[in-house]
Amino acid sequence: MNGLAYLFLPFQQPLLIVLVAIGVFAGIYIGAIPGLSGTMAVSLLVPFTFGWETNPAIVLMIGIFSGVVYGGSRSAILLNIPGAPAAVATSFDGYPLAKKGLAGEAIGIATVQSVFGGIIGVIALAFFAPVVTKVALKFAPRDYLLLSFMGMMLVGSLGSKSISRGLVTAAMGVLLGTVGMDPISAQHRFTFGNTYLLSGIDYVTAMIGLFGVSEALVQIKDLSIEPVKQKADRIVPSFSSIKKYLPLTIRSSIVGVIVGALPGAGGDIAALLTYDQAKRTVKNPEVPFGEGAVEGVVAPESANNAAIGGAFIPMLTMGIPGDSVTAVMLGALFIHGLHPGPMLMVETPHLFYLIVSSLALSNIFLLIFGLTGIKVFTKLIEIPKGRLLPIIIMLSVVGSYAVNNNLYDVFWMVAFGIIGYLFKQYDYPVGPMVLGIILADIIETNYRRSVISAGSILKFIGGIFTSPLSMFLLSIIIFSLLVQTEWYKRWRSKRDLKRYKQD
Amino acid sequence: MKRLISLLLVLCMTVTVLIGCDNKENNSESIFPARDITGIVQWGAGGGTDSLMRPLSSLAEKILGKSIVIQNKPGATGAIATQYVYEQDADGYTLLMGAENPQLYSMLGISELTYEDFEPVFIIGDEKVGIIVGKDSKYNSFTELIEDALANPGTISMTTTGTGGMPWSVSSFIKAITGATFKQIPFDSDAACLTAVLGGHADFTVAKVQSAIQSYKAGEIKFLTLLSLEEVDVLPEVPLVIEEYPEFKEYLPWGPFYGIFVKDGTSLEAIDVLSNAFIEAFKDESYQELLRGFNVTPLGLTGEEAKAYLLDWKRNTADAFYKSGAIDKSPEELGIK
Repeated sequence: MNGLAYLFLPFQQPLLIVLVAIGVFAGIYIGAIPGLSGTMAVSLLVPFTFGWETNPAIVLMIGIFSGVVYGGSRSAILLNIPGAPAAVATSFDGYPLAKKGLAGEAIGIATVQSVFGGIIGVIALAFFAPVVTKVALKFAPRDYLLLSFMGMMLVGSLGSKSISRGLVTAAMGVLLGTVGMDPISAQHRFTFGNTYLLSGIDYVTAMIGLFGVSEALVQIKDLSIEPVKQKADRIVPSFSSIKKYLPLTIRSSIVGVIVGALPGAGGDIAALLTYDQAKRTVKNPEVPFGEGAVEGVVAPESANNAAIGGAFIPMLTMGIPGDSVTAVMLGALFIHGLHPGPMLMVETPHLFYLIVSSLALSNIFLLIFGLTGIKVFTKLIEIPKGRLLPIIIMLSVVGSYAVNNNLYDVFWMVAFGIIGYLFKQYDYPVGPMVLGIILADIIETNYRRSVISAGSILKFIGGIFTSPLSMFLLSIIIFSLLVQTEWYKRWRSKRDLKRYKQD
Repeated sequence: MKRLISLLLVLCMTVTVLIGCDNKENNSESIFPARDITGIVQWGAGGGTDSLMRPLSSLAEKILGKSIVIQNKPGATGAIATQYVYEQDADGYTLLMGAENPQLYSMLGISELTYEDFEPVFIIGDEKVGIIVGKDSKYNSFTELIEDALANPGTISMTTTGTGGMPWSVSSFIKAITGATFKQIPFDSDAACLTAVLGGHADFTVAKVQSAIQSYKAGEIKFLTLLSLEEVDVLPEVPLVIEEYPEFKEYLPWGPFYGIFVKDGTSLEAIDVLSNAFIEAFKDESYQELLRGFNVTPLGLTGEEAKAYLLDWKRNTADAFYKSGAIDKSPEELGIK
């Protein structure tokens, strides 16, 4: 059988198609609950499918993976609680849209964009896997450092009132991110002799507290406010609007594939990066970013689903998982006696094509399940607050416990909820704090790694200027900073004026 | 209507509480196991440890007649799970499922607890490790690498998984025997270590056979040597480290191992029941096949044999760490010899 015939394997066994569908459907709802992650869902399936044949086990896992990544956007848009770190960026503009009564439209856009991103991810996996692998291998620790700096620049865009307020909360996030065992030398930092603090603060816990519980606390203050009536008449985005956002979709998806393929970064970083880039490059959004800009949903949603295809690339070409879900799948494949890696195409080519085709199928089901039942879902925010808020708090407790099965995480989550509430009372943004906690570890370890491997700080800086990839990333950072300056804005308006005169 | 529902709820809760209490009282008198067992895994879901423990437990629970509920409590190289199991009752209902790491906790100051605070139930097996370099590396043998490192101390780069991780431990063995030192760049996982070598960002790393074998077969990396006393089935052509440096014999066999433990003080009867169930599960052909798939060398140790293995492992490691200067306290001071 040649490659193309393998591609149609699911169509010879309708059971496989059914399993993909079940996976996607279950995944959407698992993903929508904060704290229940794709890693957890897929790892629960490992013992469950132990006695199964390999193919059904794999396609079910792939279906769940796609569903979960998309599902995170649901709660981000409807409740301002991202279902997973990869959906944090979606909440920045998705929730303001819901507040305006446009939740249905926001979910529709998130669905279509996730499917677009997912398909671009599949295409990259099917046709460009060797190229993407080469690019991913080029990333040295200093390039990861530059990448996380790009993510950190989002702090500047998130400060609602002023950049300095965003910097304050981001700095607190970075400080909290250092709690626990030093990732490099295993020194204990801020642990006060407590074993449970050794593993540090889980950023999912922080995310649930800062977004979920704090939002519930803010709303408890005024229960009499009637929930916004949702207009659910326009759900499927019009063809012209899809066309309008297409360049942004493609750009974000490409970033998603590459970042997803990096073993040290995944969909969460990809979503943050593309949101920031969208905010800097989209010249005239219909609504400003942070107040319900459609572009703010388009970029992160296409990027985080494109990262799925990306994450499979190093797994299938090198046997190295691109993220934690593919790490679980790698273990599952070993259990089934398969060995993904450079020899995959020689030893078991059907596995590669099966993964490609079931990923493609899962995107079709994502479109179907994503666009149906939205009306019921949007009713969720029309539930009276007296009943909705306790549910949110309960889900937050369950979710934060589920992350590591650790009671301490629940305490942390409650503490973050209170901190988040105080922040919101005094108009400090909570987003940068989550960003600080997520990125602190990546920035610190990669900075130390690159200095150790270069031998000295000077050599490390020299290394940036001698590597084409590092120079490329550095110039993106410098350019993004430049366009923010008064000097650049003046120059641009002058140029526009000149052009106007010439016309 | 509302009242009826709340009444029902209250009834439900009361009944649940009563049943819960009832259960516990019965258990203390009946034979082990009278209720479900919890297995606490030191590492995350889907990791190497997890992938070995879950299938074994699903086979063992059929023999025990009670479920083994697996929970992952990752963090602090397994110290969180170890601490948690230590805080539970020594009744055999909470199992610690882990890798070799706790044997190093006291040496490295990560935690006060080690496997000496637990009783071994079952040691599944261990993995062989080897030195790998990129395909274009100038090194073609372990000796070449060591000679170059001795000529240029601290400049040849190796990737590790941080202090106390397997590559770091192996570098201590190498230093204790040959005196060679390296520039160590720590990464988050062994996969990231391998990626850095593949991408040319470091000269070499120490990898489990399992993690590197696919890249090796594809010609992406070279295996310089294996830290093993006997030939490894899947890599018969790779030279063993004892051929070049016979002094390694003193420290081998050494490698990451996987085992199941209960808290010290658990009754011997309970340990026996558990050990026998895991032995039987381990012998199942489907599990043996799984071990082959993971390239894990089956050990299947229980009781005194398991204790001897653990002590040997710890003694060898402490000895090498002390000789290489990785720790200040001698094995005698640590109370191991």
